[in-house]
Amino acid sequence: MTGSIALLGQPNSGKSTIYNNLTGSRQHVGNWAGKTVEKNEGSFTYNGTKYIVTDLPGSYGLSGNSDEEIITTDFIRSGQSELTVVLVDASQLERSMFMLAEFARMDKPAMLILNMMDVAEGMGKEIDTKALEKKLGIPVLPFNATDTKDYDKLKKLIAEEMKAPHKLKIAAPAEKADVKADSKEKFKWVSEILENVTRTKDAIYKMSKFDRLMTRPVLGKVICIAVVLLAFVVAMLFMMPFSGVGQMIPTLLHDPIEKLLTSWNVHPWIISIFSMMLPNTLSFTLSMAGFVFGVNIVFGFLEETGFIARAAYQFDGLLSKLGLQGKAICPMLMGCGCTIGGACGTRVMDNWGQRMLAMSIVWAVPCASIWSIIPVISGMFFSWWQTLLVCVGILVYVVITMVVVSKFFCKKLVPNDTKSGMIMELPPYHKAHWKHIFKEAAYKAWDIFRRALGTVTLVSVIFYVLSFSSDGNVNNSLIYRVGTFIEPVTKFFGMGWQTFMAFCSGAFAKEAVLGTLNAVFMGNNSLMEATFFSQATSTDAALLGSAMTQMISPAEALAFMFATTFNIPCIMALSTTYKESHSLKWTVRVALFYICNALIVSCVVYHVANLFM
Amino acid sequence: MKLTDSKADMQGKILSVGGEDHFMNRITSIGITEGTRFQTVRNDKKMPVLIYLRETLISLNRADAERIEVEKI
Repeated sequence: MTGSIALLGQPNSGKSTIYNNLTGSRQHVGNWAGKTVEKNEGSFTYNGTKYIVTDLPGSYGLSGNSDEEIITTDFIRSGQSELTVVLVDASQLERSMFMLAEFARMDKPAMLILNMMDVAEGMGKEIDTKALEKKLGIPVLPFNATDTKDYDKLKKLIAEEMKAPHKLKIAAPAEKADVKADSKEKFKWVSEILENVTRTKDAIYKMSKFDRLMTRPVLGKVICIAVVLLAFVVAMLFMMPFSGVGQMIPTLLHDPIEKLLTSWNVHPWIISIFSMMLPNTLSFTLSMAGFVFGVNIVFGFLEETGFIARAAYQFDGLLSKLGLQGKAICPMLMGCGCTIGGACGTRVMDNWGQRMLAMSIVWAVPCASIWSIIPVISGMFFSWWQTLLVCVGILVYVVITMVVVSKFFCKKLVPNDTKSGMIMELPPYHKAHWKHIFKEAAYKAWDIFRRALGTVTLVSVIFYVLSFSSDGNVNNSLIYRVGTFIEPVTKFFGMGWQTFMAFCSGAFAKEAVLGTLNAVFMGNNSLMEATFFSQATSTDAALLGSAMTQMISPAEALAFMFATTFNIPCIMALSTTYKESHSLKWTVRVALFYICNALIVSCVVYHVANLFM
Repeated sequence: MKLTDSKADMQGKILSVGGEDHFMNRITSIGITEGTRFQTVRNDKKMPVLIYLRETLISLNRADAERIEVEKI
């Protein structure tokens, strides 16, 4: 036996928390037919009956014409779900009951959840749920979305309601043609219902001390930036045990596997796949999942406490110029540390289009790995103040790229009619529920590990085949042949075959760039080892520097630095973007954009620099 | 006066909201309807306006806030 229910609620009503806790890992993400709106469907089993849960897109009302609202209305009207669970925020009862007023017109079976009862009680609010139930004629459940004990009650009630469903017995608010009058009618309906159900003191609102700091025009921004950068450090701490284990994998597995397979007389080509490439892929993906775990914990914390909403308030003006909501500031700052963190931090954005646009802009933010290689390479060719200029130049082009990306993709991802300025609530600060945050972060990290392993392995294999050479000499690899063959073309973009190879390996992992340069310029270790076994290879910057300055011009070095910085971030960031966006088409589209952008900037830098150097 | 002209801590009432249907839908569904009482919480230059209305702290960007007429009570 199966049943089908739908979750309906405004943003910040705790809907996704309830959805996640109800369905756990039995979730499926897709798109609503023909729309760029994410469709979340999951299921849970209670007393032998399976219930399909559809998480309807969040919006403040249902009368607008946004994709979200149309989808929600159509879905409820279609009767595909037998029961609609309407969620309201008990701490902002009057305002969030608006959704029930919208729903009332559809005349379908429903139950009501009063979420965040703990917050409401903390505010000294009293709600007579029995009286409310009597007036409405549908069951009303006082709830704390983060309290795991409440879910049994919820499931039990859902099961009962599926057998004997209730409809609202109170008449729906009268319909008015004029939008203003119509909304007024709905709020009148709400206040009539809430009469004698809840007491609200007409008190003067006083901002909390912290909020007064957070909303100061300059200080607030400084605090936001500091907090997100601190959050990045904390996320790194959470990652450390994972990456520690991850880094041990290649070293630990390499020798035993090699020995074992050699004793079986396996072809060396196969041996290096199993001894070098696969352990390394596992190690990469594990570190990446560890980082995603950390990022989800800190972002979960920042979101639950209400910090993200304050950051949105602070940066909305600036980011709206890029077509983004203010919330995007958090993933963007996170991207200064690591693009993977930035990409999965976009989960705080409200809708898919915004999320995808934020991810494609986060790609332009140079990550910490880039900043660890650019000064090294620049130092080989330029003096310290010139190096500083290179960095400034890169930063300027970061801004240019962001603007271009936004111009390029904004229309498709964030259509004008959905772009209206920020109208949002700043939810009161909540206490963070750690158990819940950890559970969700662990689930997310596991999910990304499981799914990304395949993608990363596939790309690794491709790169592996390209870089393989039987004797370890670069000149025997496929990529060398391809590289030298197309060198006339890459020369036009300012890169010889050596730098072009390093450019390619940078698309795989930024950490591999120095190792690759070492391999192609010094022939010290094989390209493959540089890419897949970077821990075991060391780069002597001084030696490499003298070799490189002899073989390539400063203009080529400069072009290469720009090309590497603005190339696609790395394979892990790419696959995180794919997993977070659920859209191969868009991931590829953005990746192609970045490759072209990198080649163009490299070409321009090279030819301009040639005029002066 | 316009909402953008109100001073922090002012207690007021929404007089009228102007704009096309899409905007109207968004603004009224979050609770900003004519006749509603509110309090301006913060109104700094170049920053969104913060108001407290229907037990909710709401942030509105300046361009939108300009389209809302209010009066002091």
